[in-house]
Amino acid sequence: MKWWGEALGRGASAQFARVGRMRRALLLLAAAACTAAALLYWRQQSDDRPNRPLQALYAGIEPQWTWVCRNYRCERLLASESSTLQSLQTCNMLCDSTQLWPQPTGPVSLATAVVPVRADGFKLQIVSSPSRDVSDHLAEAFELMKEDMRMLERSMGSDSRPSDYGSPHEVLVRVAINGSGDPRMRLDTDESYKLALRPARKALVADITAHSFCGARHGFETLSQIVWMDPYASSLLILEAATVVDAPRFPYRGLLLDTARNFFPSEEILRTIDAMAASKLNTFHWHVSDSQSFPLRLNSAPQLAQHGAYGPGAVYTPDDVRAIVRHAKLRGIRVLMEVDAPAHVGRAWGWGPGAGLGQLAHCIEAEPWSAYCGEPPCGQLNPRNPHVYDLLQRIYTEIIQLTEVDDLFHLGGDEVSERCWAQHFNDSDPMELWLEFTKKAMLALERANHGKPPELTLLWSSRLTRSPYLERLDSRHLGVQVWGSSRWPESRAVLDAGFRTVISHVDAWYLDCGFGSWRDSSDGHCGPYRSWQQVYEHRPWTEENGGISNMGVGNAAPVGGGAGAGGGAGVGPGGAAAWRVEGGAACQWTEQLAPGGLDARVWPRSAALAERLWSDRAEGAAADVYLRLDTQRARLVARGVRAAPLWPRWCSHNPHACL
Amino acid sequence: MASRWVLLAVVAVHLGHCIEENGLTDTMSHVYEPAWMYKCIPDEGCQRTRHHQLSDNSTSMVFGSLDVCRTVCGRFGGLWPRPVTAAISMQTVGIHPNYLRFDLASVPVETRELLVEMTKVVGENLLAECDGEVTVVVETPVIVFMNVKTADMRLSWETSEAYTLDVQTKDTQIAVHIHAETVYGARHALETFTQLVAADRPDYSDERKCGLQLVTGAKIRDRPVYKHRGLLLDCSRHFIPMVDIKRTIDGMAANKMNVFHWHVTDSHSFPLESTRVPQFTRYGAYSADEIYSAEEVRELIKYAQVRGVRVVIEIDAPAHAGNGWQWGKEYGFGDLAVCVNQWPWRHLCIEPPCGQLNPANPAMYRVLRDLYRDIAEALPQPALLHMGGDEVFIECWNATEEITNYMKQKKYETNENGFIELWAEFHAKALEAWDQELEAANGTPPQPVMLWSSELTQAHRIQKHLSKDRYVIEVWEPINSPLLNQLIKQGYRTVSVPKDIWYLDHGFWGKTTYSNWRRMYAHTLPRDDNFLGGEVAMWTEYLDEQGLDTRVWPRAAAVAERLWADPVSGVQSAEPRLQRQRARLVARGLRVDAMGPAWCAQHDSKCF
Repeated sequence: MKWWGEALGRGASAQFARVGRMRRALLLLAAAACTAAALLYWRQQSDDRPNRPLQALYAGIEPQWTWVCRNYRCERLLASESSTLQSLQTCNMLCDSTQLWPQPTGPVSLATAVVPVRADGFKLQIVSSPSRDVSDHLAEAFELMKEDMRMLERSMGSDSRPSDYGSPHEVLVRVAINGSGDPRMRLDTDESYKLALRPARKALVADITAHSFCGARHGFETLSQIVWMDPYASSLLILEAATVVDAPRFPYRGLLLDTARNFFPSEEILRTIDAMAASKLNTFHWHVSDSQSFPLRLNSAPQLAQHGAYGPGAVYTPDDVRAIVRHAKLRGIRVLMEVDAPAHVGRAWGWGPGAGLGQLAHCIEAEPWSAYCGEPPCGQLNPRNPHVYDLLQRIYTEIIQLTEVDDLFHLGGDEVSERCWAQHFNDSDPMELWLEFTKKAMLALERANHGKPPELTLLWSSRLTRSPYLERLDSRHLGVQVWGSSRWPESRAVLDAGFRTVISHVDAWYLDCGFGSWRDSSDGHCGPYRSWQQVYEHRPWTEENGGISNMGVGNAAPVGGGAGAGGGAGVGPGGAAAWRVEGGAACQWTEQLAPGGLDARVWPRSAALAERLWSDRAEGAAADVYLRLDTQRARLVARGVRAAPLWPRWCSHNPHACL
Repeated sequence: MASRWVLLAVVAVHLGHCIEENGLTDTMSHVYEPAWMYKCIPDEGCQRTRHHQLSDNSTSMVFGSLDVCRTVCGRFGGLWPRPVTAAISMQTVGIHPNYLRFDLASVPVETRELLVEMTKVVGENLLAECDGEVTVVVETPVIVFMNVKTADMRLSWETSEAYTLDVQTKDTQIAVHIHAETVYGARHALETFTQLVAADRPDYSDERKCGLQLVTGAKIRDRPVYKHRGLLLDCSRHFIPMVDIKRTIDGMAANKMNVFHWHVTDSHSFPLESTRVPQFTRYGAYSADEIYSAEEVRELIKYAQVRGVRVVIEIDAPAHAGNGWQWGKEYGFGDLAVCVNQWPWRHLCIEPPCGQLNPANPAMYRVLRDLYRDIAEALPQPALLHMGGDEVFIECWNATEEITNYMKQKKYETNENGFIELWAEFHAKALEAWDQELEAANGTPPQPVMLWSSELTQAHRIQKHLSKDRYVIEVWEPINSPLLNQLIKQGYRTVSVPKDIWYLDHGFWGKTTYSNWRRMYAHTLPRDDNFLGGEVAMWTEYLDEQGLDTRVWPRAAAVAERLWADPVSGVQSAEPRLQRQRARLVARGLRVDAMGPAWCAQHDSKCF
């Protein structure tokens, strides 16, 4: 999309330059015609095409392709060889594939007639809304959708060609929300929606019904996916009619970004959230701190960033966080902020003795690092220092205030070095210390959350989530984010024990794998690279024995099926207690990633995950998935996300030809 | 002054901590002060440290800016690639680009225009260190005395790239003396000079204030180990916009790489405009705007020359040619290429879309000749053409009756040997066409051309078909292949691109493995008069301009040092300097990949 936009967006002078170039070519040709070799050329040509004048041979030297839909495939032809001029985008939209991403789970019907529209021709009418708050959010989310469309219009520039499709139609979008008055993305949010678009005289009417702001917002997103920029018509086009019934298969669809190993400025995070929204991901898991740095400036504990940030320009202020949270909220995304503890802490916690608080953490930057942690630098909280829990309570309180998320929390809790603690507490079993720490951190969280624990508090899978310690964790409030390999027995054991889980299997959904070791010692990195196909095809919940409580039967989920889907345990097909899979998250750890490389590393692979978690279609990376994902990638690029291509450009130009 | 302020503030905050009974009270100062300084520790590099941990006698080795610390710390400071010898002062002096002068009195008149362009790049790069604005104005004049011996401005394997660079500070001014045989050696010296400068602004600073620091003294002697230090960029699988190509050349110049191998055509697309054969782009470009116009190509060649980079255009043939060549029938020329875009593709080529030139069609050679003429006119002298020559898929030719008939007529066998004969015949005819067009365009005598290694260049076969006087073989076989050494022994000039180590696209498709910079750096090459050097190759099936920089850098920089300096020391001693180079490239606008957590960049040699 972008390429054509730039082509046509050029001013008149560029057009003249091109004419000039043509003229030069003709002059050169005229000169060459004097030579014997050239004569030979022309004789041959005129033999074959006696009726073709010389200029006609070189008229329109610009390549111009047109696409026709034949046998459910778009074929590329030279424009001069075809009577009609149709862009690739339009051909794709009208030829067999829905081009929706993620593919809706309910029935979809799309018209094949097309009408032109303008971004400013979209009008919102709120038919019913449960609260003022929801109405305000709807109005803003609607503007965001229009802004995305305006961006496409701007890419065409002012060079408006006459459209073959007539004058633009108005689109009246009527939204009815019958349900929650809380616009936040919550564990019990019903994200289902229905979209019905139909022509009405000289206009179109789109009815979106949903049970929450988030559901309605997803409806906007789907609506925006049946609108596209046709570079040949220089106009936005929309399908004339459509009905979509849709609900996600899993309520938790996340992307983790680690901003501690390397710092990512707020703009990078905002852009990542834009891209998440385009694929209906709903959880931005912000791994904000680690032993390397602590960039989060908290008013209640400013010392952490002061001692832990890479520098004053590598800090997220409370205002930054609020801006990110608001940006996400308008896009149906919650910000789940994780301050990892008790391991994965560092210099940020080194100021205790100077402040009269004693050691808040041990082993900070201890050497040799390989004895006390998994990667340099080391550091682990001091579980016996009560100030640590006071601080955690402050941190948790402020995080809940900033993110407005109070039903879900992440405590971190991975990769504790037993040896580090054993050195300082030779009277205790480090595993007991860890259990004790987790309980006290939970208490701190409870106090931070007005005296009650959040509905679900996540821990990373670890030795603590293995027998015999797993049994000692409270499965009513605690859930586990399973990052171990899907082949490890302990990854399954957590599920079998009935814990609510978020899946982030390293062998499928770790986006950082495959870049070799960033240190001389070759351990501590994973590989190979997880391709988008691998990300897409990973369906651990379909394994034998493992039943899953929130899986619908058959292919289409009923509207509203997403609501509370992660709820009660049942009995799976194998007879074992059903797995309580809340969903999954792709993890972008950033030991080997810095700003600038973020988008191409994360996209379109996270979009592949988004469809797995939203639609969970049984088919793998089939032809239709390639085509739709390729279109989604183009949408991301048009929105300023530097997503990586799926294949050579020629393959996008010739759908199906590379499969 | 500034650093003293910082010191005071930090002490104040520190005292604050001690005075309070409980540091958790909300009355604490919320002001963030940068607490880090960098200490140069010989043999270890620069270490982040806190102000109050420093004793007074060590302050001479302590810097507020990591970049300045790196610039003076260690034998080779922040230089990348490593020079042959260097003596660099630990002291620095403030400078400002406005007070930088270049004295060109001792250079041949003919070279002045080019040198002026080269010196402009220095100014831009210095400004980039401060993000475009050097706010600290220092009026100390810096005069760079340039001495260039020859007026010869050709850039080839014979060009001397050696230089010497001396920096001396006297009370009122700084004198920099550059001596080089050629303008290209002088350009490398200018790049090295730029690398002796760093911004005094701390990393991750939120301040606008920024000044430049130059080492007060330096004595550097330098020349490359290998003559050919290249980067291949495939602009056919994806069209890479000119602005991104130029940025890539900026990166090459920063690393003293000297060959931009432009894989500009393939079976996928033909974006290179030919004024004589406009059909190439008409039928081969992805769109009207995804074309490298003849004018843009000339501009790119000039842009590269100013940065000491020679542009080598590759027209891959006879395989890897399809889109752009499919118009022959319409124009009465017959099939110029065969198997073009055929589907299913698996039996006709190794990756879609298929396409191979039609060696049975004499018109194909005439069209090729016209294309060569355009290229001969565009390339700087002495023109170096890469004729491609890889991965001929015999099944495609075998499936084409016109070609098998031609072979019968020529009495070639209809087995593998026959197709090899046909293939060799193609190269002989293509080379003849190139020689003649080069002669016709500029009166240039025959020049060596480059060719990929292939079945045709197997040790037992090559001498029969390809003259060692004419062909330089670019060997892309994996490192365990004997071919490279065999060809060197047979007297062929060679360039090495071991695909399992130096292919930048590996690790993202099929069973290929990603090589990180350490692995790329650790690979060493033969030393032989016939061995010219190496390249890294950026194939773009799964990459376009969106992710280009991150995929190429800093890995190409690692290879650049291998090719320039071929040091015996390993990755450990290279890492701090490469970190500096990474920061430098980022400052110059490249989106360089991370080498590790930023903490490791702030703590040299703590992450091994």
